[in-house]
Amino acid sequence: MDTSEKEEFSGEKRNDNHPADWRVSGSNPVSAPPFGSYPTENLITASCSPSQMMDSFGQTLWYDPTNVQAVGYGGSSSSSCFRGGMDWSLPNLLPPKGNGLFLPNASSFLPPSMAQFPADSGFIERAARFSLFSDMVNQPLGSPESVGLFVQGQCPSSEVNVGGVAHNNVIRCSEQGSKPNVSEDTQSSGQKGGETSSKGFDSKKRKRNRQSSEAEQSQRSEEEAENNGGDKKEQSPNSPGNKTNSGKQASDPKDGYIHVRARRGQATNSHSLAERVRREKISERMKFLQDLVPGCNKVTGKAVMLDEIINYVQSLQRQVEFLSMKLATVNPQMDFYLEGLLAKDVRELQLRGGSSSATPFPTQNMSMVYPPLPHGFMQQQTLSSVGRTISSPLSPMNGGYKRQETNGWEGDLQNVIHINYGAGDVPSDPEAAAATASLPSSNMKVEP
Amino acid sequence: MASADKPINTDVPEKDVFALHFLQSLSNLRRQNAFNSPDDTTNNRVKKIKKAAYVSMARAAGGTNRLWSRALLRRAAKENNKVVIFSRRKKRVTWLRRSNRRDPVDAERLRNLLPGGGAMETSKLMEETAHYIKCLSMQVKVMQCLVDGLSAK
Repeated sequence: MDTSEKEEFSGEKRNDNHPADWRVSGSNPVSAPPFGSYPTENLITASCSPSQMMDSFGQTLWYDPTNVQAVGYGGSSSSSCFRGGMDWSLPNLLPPKGNGLFLPNASSFLPPSMAQFPADSGFIERAARFSLFSDMVNQPLGSPESVGLFVQGQCPSSEVNVGGVAHNNVIRCSEQGSKPNVSEDTQSSGQKGGETSSKGFDSKKRKRNRQSSEAEQSQRSEEEAENNGGDKKEQSPNSPGNKTNSGKQASDPKDGYIHVRARRGQATNSHSLAERVRREKISERMKFLQDLVPGCNKVTGKAVMLDEIINYVQSLQRQVEFLSMKLATVNPQMDFYLEGLLAKDVRELQLRGGSSSATPFPTQNMSMVYPPLPHGFMQQQTLSSVGRTISSPLSPMNGGYKRQETNGWEGDLQNVIHINYGAGDVPSDPEAAAATASLPSSNMKVEP
Repeated sequence: MASADKPINTDVPEKDVFALHFLQSLSNLRRQNAFNSPDDTTNNRVKKIKKAAYVSMARAAGGTNRLWSRALLRRAAKENNKVVIFSRRKKRVTWLRRSNRRDPVDAERLRNLLPGGGAMETSKLMEETAHYIKCLSMQVKVMQCLVDGLSAK
């Protein structure tokens, strides 16, 4: 059960935002500690700002960069934060529940959050106690000893707490209003609440737990994480994922992050978790594609979007076919043009790329560089004109190398054409004007 | 799969890369005697040019790092009875994930469209489609410029 819960957590964790989000939203988490906000915070669906603040607050607690071992729910980290101030070398009280996941992410954010800790220590303690209380109330296991275990965050206790937290989270949702009572009870439960607070935290904590459990798994055995995660993110991707999620939350708290969190009520089956992760990945890519395909901003829904994408791809393919037909008809003119152009390109790319550009060129093309050029083809001129547009070496194997967009490329191309044909044929200026005039229209055709 | 993809990388090289590859393939075509002689039907020429366009695009933009370009090049090489050698690293991973995956439910039409789309997970399919769209549009631009340049004469 624990493992399944962990999986659930980890699965959700993937989707969860990472501490950064909370930090962003809750820069001043603690001002008023809403005990009330605690329960709401625990609510996964809690979307009110105080809960967010709470989350961020709690979140910051968890992110102890030094404690990669995952202080479990971070209770120990929080406690140490309060006391030790900047001493982040928390003992690994809890088994690596996966705090490591958000810890790395949080590390960058920690300093600001840490500043908040001393002020919030009291709050955290109360929160911890509250969580303790919830544990005790909701959990059949919630005997003092389990609570104590929870507080200390020992390994076995953390396991228990995972279950307890789950219960707590469930129950906390329902207990939004019982703040004052809770505070008293938690106080009675003990002073270790500070530590447990981190553990007993809201759904975020739950997510953290998942994260921590996930991180833990990944730390322990990547295969295990892999098996559990399947398509889920691994720990390393979680860090960038956390950051991206946090970015999302910063921009739209209601959209990605909390939405993911709201799935608490869903099945905790590992398969469904993986399914969820997969679906979210797909939707993310769909959004990316939406930006790519022109005129799809208003379209919503996967099916319609898919149709649009398919139509666009088909239209592009048809365009390629159409243009190749056109090229076939103008075949005879291509001789000199091609040679000149190729020679120019080869030279320029060689200029820029040095030795690396030579590799992709087939040797036979090299011979083309030095053949006698027809019509007094002015290679030097074209070289210089196009040369400035090329800024990086040719390396097709690299895949994703970046170049500046050369808007003047078409113009240069036209120049080359004119140079090729213009020698004794047609004055270059009118042709240039016509060519450049036709160019924008052609471009517009290309991108309907 | 999720490991390195957080910011989805769909960078596409500049136009000149596409242009260079396309022109190279075209010049190779010109070298073929069968291509230039008048008895070669226009249809065949069109097909060859089209194929050259796709192959050059695949080589220019994707190289062997993209699934669609790999599938495209492999398909083209098979037609020519050539053998293409790829580094198998990523393909293996993809295959593994494919075996983990259950059913590529929807997006079947997209799979049919994209070269090599039948062997990808849906999320990977989306990514490849994005890159494919970018490359296709770049290739179309190049070809359009070429046609304009030639026809403006």
